[in-house]
Amino acid sequence: MYWKYCIKRIIYGLAIFIVLIFIYSALFNTTMESTLRSQIEEEIHAETMRLDTRMTPEELTRYINERREFKQHLYHLDKPIWKRIVWRALNVLSLNFGKATIIRSSAGESDVWTIIAECLPRTVLLFTTAIFINIILGLWLGIKKAQKAGELLDKTTSIGTMIVYGMPSWWLGMLVIMFFAYTIRIFPSGGLHSIPPPTGLAYYTDLFYHMTLPVLTLVIIGFWGSAFLIRNIVLSILQEDYIMAARTRGIPERKVLYGHAMRTAAPPIVTMALLSLLASVGGNIIFEGIFSWPGLGNLYWISIEQNDIPVLMGNLFVTTALYIGGLVILDLIYGFLDPRIKVGGKQ
Amino acid sequence: MADTNDILKVENLKINFFTRKGKVYAVDDVSFSLKKGETLGLVGESGCGKTTTVLGLMKMIPPPGKITGGRILIKGEDIIPLSEDEMREKIRWEKISMVFQGAMNCLTPVYTIGKQMMETVQEHKEMEYLQAKKRIINYLNLVGLPEDIIRRYPHELSGGMKQRVVIATALFLEPEIVICDEPTTALDVVVQAQIINLIKRLKKKLGLSVIFITHDLATEAEVADRLLVMYAGKLVEIGTNEQIYGKRGPIHPYTEKLLKATPRLHEKVEELSFIPGTPPDLVDPPSGCRFHPRCLEVMEKCKKDIPSLIEVEPGHWIACWRNTND
Amino acid sequence: MKWIDIKAGFKDFWNEFKNVKFGLFGLILLFIFILAVFLNPYIVPFPEASSRWRDITYWEDNPVSAPPVWVNWFSSTKRAPSLIIREHTFSEEKMRKMKLTRTIFEYEYSYDLPPLDVIFHGYAKGSPVIMLNIERPDGRIVELVRRPISKSDGKIVRISIAKDTRIESYNFGAKYESPEQNRIIREMVKPTSILFSEAKEGILVHPTPLKGAYKIIAEIILPSETDVVEDVYLSLSGSVSGWLGTDNSKRDIWSGVVAGVKWALLIGLLTAFTAVSIGVIYGVMSAYLGGWRDSLMQRIFELFVGIPLLPVLIVMSAIFKPSIWILIIMMSCFFWVGPVKTVRSMGLQIKEETYIEAARALGSSSSRIIFKHMVPLLIPYSFASMALYVPSAIVYEASISLLGLGDSTIVTWGQILHDALTGGAVINGLWWWVIPPGLFIALMGMTFAFIGFAMDKILHPKLRTR
Repeated sequence: MYWKYCIKRIIYGLAIFIVLIFIYSALFNTTMESTLRSQIEEEIHAETMRLDTRMTPEELTRYINERREFKQHLYHLDKPIWKRIVWRALNVLSLNFGKATIIRSSAGESDVWTIIAECLPRTVLLFTTAIFINIILGLWLGIKKAQKAGELLDKTTSIGTMIVYGMPSWWLGMLVIMFFAYTIRIFPSGGLHSIPPPTGLAYYTDLFYHMTLPVLTLVIIGFWGSAFLIRNIVLSILQEDYIMAARTRGIPERKVLYGHAMRTAAPPIVTMALLSLLASVGGNIIFEGIFSWPGLGNLYWISIEQNDIPVLMGNLFVTTALYIGGLVILDLIYGFLDPRIKVGGKQ
Repeated sequence: MADTNDILKVENLKINFFTRKGKVYAVDDVSFSLKKGETLGLVGESGCGKTTTVLGLMKMIPPPGKITGGRILIKGEDIIPLSEDEMREKIRWEKISMVFQGAMNCLTPVYTIGKQMMETVQEHKEMEYLQAKKRIINYLNLVGLPEDIIRRYPHELSGGMKQRVVIATALFLEPEIVICDEPTTALDVVVQAQIINLIKRLKKKLGLSVIFITHDLATEAEVADRLLVMYAGKLVEIGTNEQIYGKRGPIHPYTEKLLKATPRLHEKVEELSFIPGTPPDLVDPPSGCRFHPRCLEVMEKCKKDIPSLIEVEPGHWIACWRNTND
Repeated sequence: MKWIDIKAGFKDFWNEFKNVKFGLFGLILLFIFILAVFLNPYIVPFPEASSRWRDITYWEDNPVSAPPVWVNWFSSTKRAPSLIIREHTFSEEKMRKMKLTRTIFEYEYSYDLPPLDVIFHGYAKGSPVIMLNIERPDGRIVELVRRPISKSDGKIVRISIAKDTRIESYNFGAKYESPEQNRIIREMVKPTSILFSEAKEGILVHPTPLKGAYKIIAEIILPSETDVVEDVYLSLSGSVSGWLGTDNSKRDIWSGVVAGVKWALLIGLLTAFTAVSIGVIYGVMSAYLGGWRDSLMQRIFELFVGIPLLPVLIVMSAIFKPSIWILIIMMSCFFWVGPVKTVRSMGLQIKEETYIEAARALGSSSSRIIFKHMVPLLIPYSFASMALYVPSAIVYEASISLLGLGDSTIVTWGQILHDALTGGAVINGLWWWVIPPGLFIALMGMTFAFIGFAMDKILHPKLRTR
């Protein structure tokens, strides 16, 4: 039952991803091709530099044309447009993103996939930490609010939620940097680690030191929202008949709350947490940029500024893959946690 | 009505709800008793206070409600002064348990049946796992369910099966008093009959004292011995089924209307009888007898003075000015 | 839906709504914002900020990166704020065919730091000659500049003391400065700090402010009868300026921020309205039609959900360089997925109601059932959704603008922040540039959050009443 559900979700996810890749390839075809063409020209130019210089001008021109035709054929540029799109999409699906024009990885490589693979863990580290803290705090406050719904704590913290609702995280980040990094200089203004990075245990403490401001900003904005959502979820569960029934049976309040109620609340809360994480993957380009945190989002911004199309496209593809993958995993986890899906219907 | 055979005695119970719109007099000065082995039926319209009364017996009134007066004596001991912990450890489910209405939603959806039942047993009794499991299976069989129900989740069961689980859960700690709150209302007719038969069998077999709530007089007649009629938060009539259904003696006008409103299969039905008007607003109830705006035999006195329960024949009490005049 | 029903519905809703205090507060804030849009020309010193944001001549007289005027309240060193003086006394003398006019502007200087510049403006026709002098409280008069205007039918005259009077100011100051200090390079001199300081030793290096009444006198010679200089005014460029200071392109930030209000409202409301409308109708149709149509619509929906919004929006903006309207359309194309899931489950519930079955039995068409029976039930939810989507739309637009990909023909708060970022505001601590635009984004977000949450609270009463 559950397996059927899992497979269904995974297949849908894959299908959607593939369709989107094709759509992207079609939509951004012209841009990507013009980059490709200029890259080809550069390659040819580099090749001609290494040639034996005793060729006559005609021979040289012929050579260039030959090479150009060869390369265009190699990159399928001489085929009709739909074939080019298909070929490009297939390339992407096999993780062949091409070479970056300007950006280089920290080891100096220009392979787009290497560059992206380097940035990915940093993004994951930052946002997973922040979301983790958010959820812990959100659970603590949210449950408290649900237990004393409508009272002072609940009302005042709800106002807090509304105040930060429309606040851009990157703006708060700017403020936090201005204050903690420039006015009172206790934290670094950005980056992953100090230069040069320390070794051993100090490497990790330095890393956390650099993570403090961004995580702080994310938590300040994020935890109100999680507390509010958790409060709503838990509260609506606490009003269900089966909670009252459990109490009537003499089950102590602690078990009712943390057992019956929270176990039922687990699927929606986990959904909420994962969705926040996914939203960060897609949406925190500027945030990382402000803190110069060399993750996926920052890479995106740099590739826009530097007009490095291969990296930009590669990044877009990877982000979309992560996003859809995350959604599929979310569905799978939800199905696992909720017996109504895991075990299925009536006999 | 003082009787040492009384396993439950309710005296002048008052329950109010303190809402934003005002104080709701949900249960107003209700008194009755339940003898050991007896089944007491509690009937009335929706919202008349039946469920609130029985929730009061377990001190499980949801906020903004509170018990504001009276005594509830279980085997002679008043439970109203008891603390929440004492209620939870000694009274609830051990002395008095409840079979809920609409078994739809009173089972936690994320726990298996077995886990929920085991949790209840182990919370109250020091029992080894296997011993407890044996008892659970025992009672499941008693209600006609197979052992593998333990591994199922509530959503996998039909309405009837869930109702049986709820009944088994209510019984397995062997409490003195069992309250059945409209256990068959949400089920289809065939299953209804099965459940009623089950309850009758278990009643006899286990010697239970039962309070059976329903709005359907036919069900009440089948299951119960005595009958309490409530209207707008007040008890208006107490008597045996014989006395009330028998059509011989006096009867409260409301009860009379209820009886008339139940169509009989074997009689010719000219038109459907109904009670005109709507149940009153309990924030601002009518003065005097609460039924007077809808009563066809209303007198001047009814509008001014609240009638109290008068014994018109042994064991038959009616709260109506017309009946005391007779 | 009859009009009476709609009115009754609104009345009930309003009765509930006014009980929720923070909802009312949100409405008041919204009202203030809307008022700001209408009163825009009256409450800002630079009413054409929106259309002339990138026109450097409009902002010429402002100082660069100046803090707001109220900084003075918190500081012991009082700085002279920017000011425009239009009042003047005017006298003329006739000498045969020529006229000699005297225009006197009075300026009360009571600060510790002088204005950065004093600029004379006028509109000249013909070929007048303009001479500027300044009369200080200590009685000394400094001749500043003599500017002949080349003949024309009419042109704008702008004389800046800071730029055009270096030599004269230096010469004035040098008279009082000690010889050692006189070696200050003339080019480094700031005319206003000399002119507004006490005439004693140290005037060139550590000036002491000379507080009092100053007169800036413009003597204009009008050689012929057709010559005239009109529309004269004096603008002082202070070291603090405006309610929110200036940026590094001399733009008054308060004017910019207020100009941004209407764009934020427009972007937010239009996107939210379009997106939620599409989403609700999509969800209801999907629920009602059921079967393979429902499945198909759900698959398409999932496709859109799988698109990470901001990255794609960024790439599309980078490539297609949209105007604000296209951007709104693009955002709506992605935002609509939000309400669909909830609306669809609500729709499925409504579909099971017997009155729908009855309507179908009576022969109502699908669109009639959808729009007459199902959609009206979803209107309260739609409004709550719309309110809660406005802040997101505004933040997305701000993000796009922050990256420099937004519509540069208009002023939005995101644009201002983009300039702040690229202008080094964060590094240089120009807090008055960074805080206000973002603060306004947050405030508007808060406003709609209050309203939306209040509506949501009414729709889902959390405390059951018996």
